[in-house]
Amino acid sequence: MLSERDLLTRVQRLTVTRLRVWVAQGWIKPVDERAQSYSEADLARAALICNLEDELGFAEEDVPVLLNLIDQIHGLRAELKGFVDALEDLPPDIRATVRMRITTKREG
Amino acid sequence: MAEDLYSVLGVAKTAKPEDITKAYRKLAKKLHPDLNPGDKAAEEKFKKITAAYGIVGDEEKRGRYDRGEIDASGQERPQQRYYREYAGGEEGARYRSTAGFEDIGAFSDLFGDLFGERGGMRGGASGRHFSMRGQDAQYRLDVGFLDAVNGTKTRITLPDGGTLDVTIPPGVTDGQVLRLKGKGTPGLGEGGPGDALIEISVKPHPVFEREGDDIVVEIPITIDEAVLGGKVEVPTISGRVFATVPPGSNTGQTLRLKGRGIKRGGKAGDQLVKLSVVMPERIDEDLKSFAETWRKSHRYDPRGKLKEQA
Repeated sequence: MLSERDLLTRVQRLTVTRLRVWVAQGWIKPVDERAQSYSEADLARAALICNLEDELGFAEEDVPVLLNLIDQIHGLRAELKGFVDALEDLPPDIRATVRMRITTKREG
Repeated sequence: MAEDLYSVLGVAKTAKPEDITKAYRKLAKKLHPDLNPGDKAAEEKFKKITAAYGIVGDEEKRGRYDRGEIDASGQERPQQRYYREYAGGEEGARYRSTAGFEDIGAFSDLFGDLFGERGGMRGGASGRHFSMRGQDAQYRLDVGFLDAVNGTKTRITLPDGGTLDVTIPPGVTDGQVLRLKGKGTPGLGEGGPGDALIEISVKPHPVFEREGDDIVVEIPITIDEAVLGGKVEVPTISGRVFATVPPGSNTGQTLRLKGRGIKRGGKAGDQLVKLSVVMPERIDEDLKSFAETWRKSHRYDPRGKLKEQA
C-alpha cells in the first residue's frame, strides 16, 4: 500500500492540493480514504491525470470526460475478455458456430 | 539510427517553441497509450515523440542538441508505468465503468440482464453494495380514434395478472410511446424500478381524419343547400353541432369550425368540414324541366379556364 507521500514523491508535478482535489472530485479513489492509502493503480492514474493536464494540455474540465471514457473502455474490455474466456470453455463445435455468427454479423 | 528529432515531431528546425509544443500535443493526444489501450504501435510512436519533445521542447537541451552536444537518444526519461497496465487488473476494477451497458443485451432473453452495473458484481471481494435500476417493461395498447383525440383513462392487464392504469393524454398519436415512471420491473439494491413503456396504436375512424391537431370531415350537402345555403348538422369529436353552409357553396369548399379540433396544451385545433354536393338519388320531372328551362337562359362555362390552360 502506498501513502500520500509516496505518491507525491513518485509522480512528478503532483502536489498535495492537486491530489486532494482529485480525490474530492472522485477522479482518484484511495484504497482507504481515511488512512490515505493508495494502490499502484491510483499512482498510475494520478500520473495519467498530470499527463493529460500538463503535457497534453487538456483543460481541467476535460479530464472527467476523458476519465469517464477511459473507465468505460476498460469496463468494456473487461466485459469482452470475460465473454471470450467464457466462450473458451464451450465445446469446440459451439465455439465454431459462435465464431461464424460473429463474422457474419460483422459483415452485416 | 539517430532520427532527426524535428522531423519526428513534424516541425521545422527553426520552429518556434510554442509551435513545437502544439505539434507535440497534437500527436500526443492521438497516440497517448491510455487513450489507445492495447495498441502497441501507438505506444512506440508516443515514446518517440515524447523523447523528442523532451529535448527540443526544452530550451537548454534544444540548444545543446542543435550544437551537437547531445544526440537524439540518451535523454529518454525514466519509464512511466501507464495507467492501462493496471486498469484491467484487480486494482483497476473499482474504476472500470459498465454503466449504460444495459442496452447491449436488451434484446436478448438469455443475456438481457448480463451487462450493465450488475455485470460488475464479480469484483465484489470488498463487499461493495451494488444497485441497479430495474428494466423497462414494454407494452402495446390499441386505442380507439375518439379516445386518442379526446384522451381517456384505461386499464391494461399484464401478463402476470397485475393491472396498470394508463392515462391517455388528448391528441396522442399513432406509434407514440407513453412512459409510466417506476412501473417497470423492480430494481436491485438502491436502484429504483424501471419504467413501463406503452406503445400506442390508434385505430382509424370511418368518418374523422386527423391532420395535426385539426380534424377533417367530409359532409355531403344537397343541391338546394349548396344554392341557397343553410344549417347542416355536423359530427365533431365532442358531439354534434350545426354548421352554416353559405349560399353558393361548392364541392371541395371547406368550412372551418374554430376550436373544434384536438385540445391539448391549452390550445385547440379546428375541425375542417369539406363540402361535397350530392345529387338526389333520382332526378325527377320537376328538376329535369327546371334544368332544361334554366339552361336556355343561363348557360355558363365552368371549364373555360381548363381549356385555356390545357
